Amino acid sequence: MEKLTSPYKWGMVIDLDRCTGCGACVVACQAENNVGICEKQEISEGRDMHWLRIERFWVGEYPDVRVRFLPVMCQHCHDAPCEPVCPVYASYHNPDGLNGQVYNRCVGTRYCGNNCPYAVRVFNFYPHEWPKPLDNQLSPDITVRSRGVMEKCSFCIQRIRRAKEEAKVEEREVRDGEVQPACAQTCPAEAMVFGNLADPRSRVARLARSPRRFQLLEHLGTHPSVYYLKGGGREHV
Amino acid sequence: MSEDLSHTSRTGQTSLTDQAPKSATRINDELLSSLRPPTLRWYLLAFFLGAVVAWGMAAFTWQLTHGMYVTGKNRPVMWGFYITGFVFWVGLSHSGTMVSSILRLSQANWRRPILRAAEAMTVFCITVAGLFPLIHLGRNWIFFYMIPYPNQRGLWPNFRSPLLWDMTAITAYIIGSSLFLYLGLLPDLAVARDRSSGWRQKVYAVLAMGWRGTAREWSVYHKASTLMAALIIPVAVSVHSIVAWDFAVTVVPGWHSTIFPPYFVIGAILSGVAAVITLMIIIRKAFHLEEYLTPLHFDNMGKLLLVISLLWSYAYFVEVQTVWYAHEPIEWEVFSFMSGRYTTQLLIMLLGNSALPIAAMCFKRLRRSIGVMLVVSLLVNVGMFIERFLIIVPSLSHKNMPFAWGSYSPSWVEISVNLAALAGFALLFTIFAKFFPIVAISDVRELEARRTGVPLGRVRVPSVAGEE
Amino acid sequence: MDTLGIFRDIDSAAAAVDGLVRAGFAEAQITSLTSVPYPDGVLVRSEQRTRFRWLALAGGLAGAAAGFVLAAGTAWLYPVQTGDKPIIALYPTAIVCFEIAMLFAIIGTMAGMFLEMRLPALKKRAYDPAIAEGFIGICLTIHRGGEAVECRPGEERQDCIGEIVSLSAVEQKERAEEIMLAAGAMRVIGEETP
Repeated sequence: MEKLTSPYKWGMVIDLDRCTGCGACVVACQAENNVGICEKQEISEGRDMHWLRIERFWVGEYPDVRVRFLPVMCQHCHDAPCEPVCPVYASYHNPDGLNGQVYNRCVGTRYCGNNCPYAVRVFNFYPHEWPKPLDNQLSPDITVRSRGVMEKCSFCIQRIRRAKEEAKVEEREVRDGEVQPACAQTCPAEAMVFGNLADPRSRVARLARSPRRFQLLEHLGTHPSVYYLKGGGREHV
Repeated sequence: MSEDLSHTSRTGQTSLTDQAPKSATRINDELLSSLRPPTLRWYLLAFFLGAVVAWGMAAFTWQLTHGMYVTGKNRPVMWGFYITGFVFWVGLSHSGTMVSSILRLSQANWRRPILRAAEAMTVFCITVAGLFPLIHLGRNWIFFYMIPYPNQRGLWPNFRSPLLWDMTAITAYIIGSSLFLYLGLLPDLAVARDRSSGWRQKVYAVLAMGWRGTAREWSVYHKASTLMAALIIPVAVSVHSIVAWDFAVTVVPGWHSTIFPPYFVIGAILSGVAAVITLMIIIRKAFHLEEYLTPLHFDNMGKLLLVISLLWSYAYFVEVQTVWYAHEPIEWEVFSFMSGRYTTQLLIMLLGNSALPIAAMCFKRLRRSIGVMLVVSLLVNVGMFIERFLIIVPSLSHKNMPFAWGSYSPSWVEISVNLAALAGFALLFTIFAKFFPIVAISDVRELEARRTGVPLGRVRVPSVAGEE
Repeated sequence: MDTLGIFRDIDSAAAAVDGLVRAGFAEAQITSLTSVPYPDGVLVRSEQRTRFRWLALAGGLAGAAAGFVLAAGTAWLYPVQTGDKPIIALYPTAIVCFEIAMLFAIIGTMAGMFLEMRLPALKKRAYDPAIAEGFIGICLTIHRGGEAVECRPGEERQDCIGEIVSLSAVEQKERAEEIMLAAGAMRVIGEETP
């Protein structure tokens, strides 16, 4: 059994002082990843399909009210609690540091969804359809999931794969900033930065060393790949 | 089939109980009476149960063809009534093992009429329980991905997942408890073989494996029964511990607790003992076994129920007390959500599992009253089902990220499937009782054969001749 | 050749056994057929040691090995990183080993028990359905003179074959029938064993 190593360790930094809560990232994610379109009934039942959600918190009493936004997607934990519990290896850790979800292998026990402390895993309770001509919008680079399958943010693995393939052809490594997931690409405030945490000179690695950084649910020891930046140094959401 | 042979009965003995021991033929007749060809009432019962099962299967087919949205599950509560049912039925399956094995090993004589029903209950409960992990899958049609077999994909299932431990344990338990039941049945199959004719006789003859009852056969049988009883207990404890680990090894607040395995095992024994009591009452009425399942048996089962209920209450108290005292925010949040949103259910559970059994089972008169035992045992199992629900759903509803909190209500599909599980169990048991004696004939007759009155002082004291 | 006498109760059966032993048959040739077990020696004394436990132990060890192959072996064959757990993890392997060891031990107990009882019986053997009604059968195995008899290990030859073997098989059978009927048998059945 050789240890599989990779020069990449994908991660993301989200600056909460820049986030305006506009939700463009959510829309971009849905468009890029063939995420199912949900009706009002589905959403009201708690079965929304957002891979990325903007959590909104009100702070203070009127008239001194402020709002905080927190975009939460799959944290791609290095010690992911969702991975060991899948009975069929549909959820696993790939050498690039991503938490992978193999749609074809998923039998739908939903154990991973229960064990994710961030509740970012999304289950296809409904069969989702794209009535014509909406099916033209589907990306050919990514599976369309059937009902009964678990899915979640993949850091746009299809874009990462394409960038790696192009880099391999040119016999180089992926350059910093060359691959961006749909959410990071779309954010108008440039609050999301994506890149290779293993490369200490990349933008994301430098931001991840900021004293403003924190991670969600650090006490659980999941070691997420997503860092959040906030305030002058000690404030948290 | 048996010739009209005159039989002797021992006469002329006055004993404390002043009752002549029954003849073997009479015992055989009474205990095999359920094997007579089925009556209209039997067919009606089987039809009714079959109809409920069919309704449940229709509901499941509806889910299979339409999608998981027909259930009440959502994000974040991704497990609901199906897993509640799964844990509940695995718990019930501990009845036979615990009652039968422990009483066998302790050689308590009052175990004899109870063993068969308890062992059969174990097998059917775990069979029903084993269906739930297949029912709750999102893509049930590829359930075989979880089975370890060499395949051309080169894939194996993940044994680090507690669900695979579940599969292993349940397989071991189904096979183990079926063999345990078969072992207990062996001498009775010989009796049934000798008393029947036609196709039944052939079936019993094959199942009885040519049992003759020689001294050597009995000696080996007795030792094998003891060893099996000793082996099946660790299997039972491990099965429910593994089911408990489905929850305890997660990071879900309220689930991540080391008390879960012993707590679940205690709950299973409570559930199982109560279910055996309920079953005893039903078969006593249905098969006219009043002389075999006497108030003494209910008295002793009631004492067992009291002890287990005290243990369960202790485990629950300990669990809540540590959460309350440490007052970790998220754990306390789970508990206060549960007690706020599901107050009625929580109270019914505490009443049924703790207050009522402990209060009622302290009194001999109540233990010996069939009506009281029926109510108490049924309420215990209602309480236990609620307990499983209250473990699973509130923890999932309020996990670590408050923005993603949710709630859950079961849908008609889930309720139907659970009711069909109950009906399926009852149907399996009904069919079993039609073909196999529901009371262990050899065990009961063994007691009769060894029971005698020994003159001691002024009276004759009943005594049982035993092995050293 | 097996001769089976059916008796109404314990006392007449016990008298018959005593009579047979006095006549020269070995205790090892006599066995009781009952529908309930009696303590050893009440009717006949039989070998109390059993060997099926070794098969149960062998089953347990085989099961532990099988469990190890299943949990650790398949993980080694197909190593997929999941969380922070090692590919071959201690607790899951131990749990699966335990379960399968217990399963195989239970199967081994059953198989061993049947093997030791020599069931299922392939040859037809002496039996009477009245035994199920509480009657007691005393079954005598008659050896012909000069016949090779399989004695249990550690058993003396005189414990295994009675002195009565000096008589012919037919004479032995007649003597046995006499004794049983005198003790109070209801009927005596003979069974030819090839």
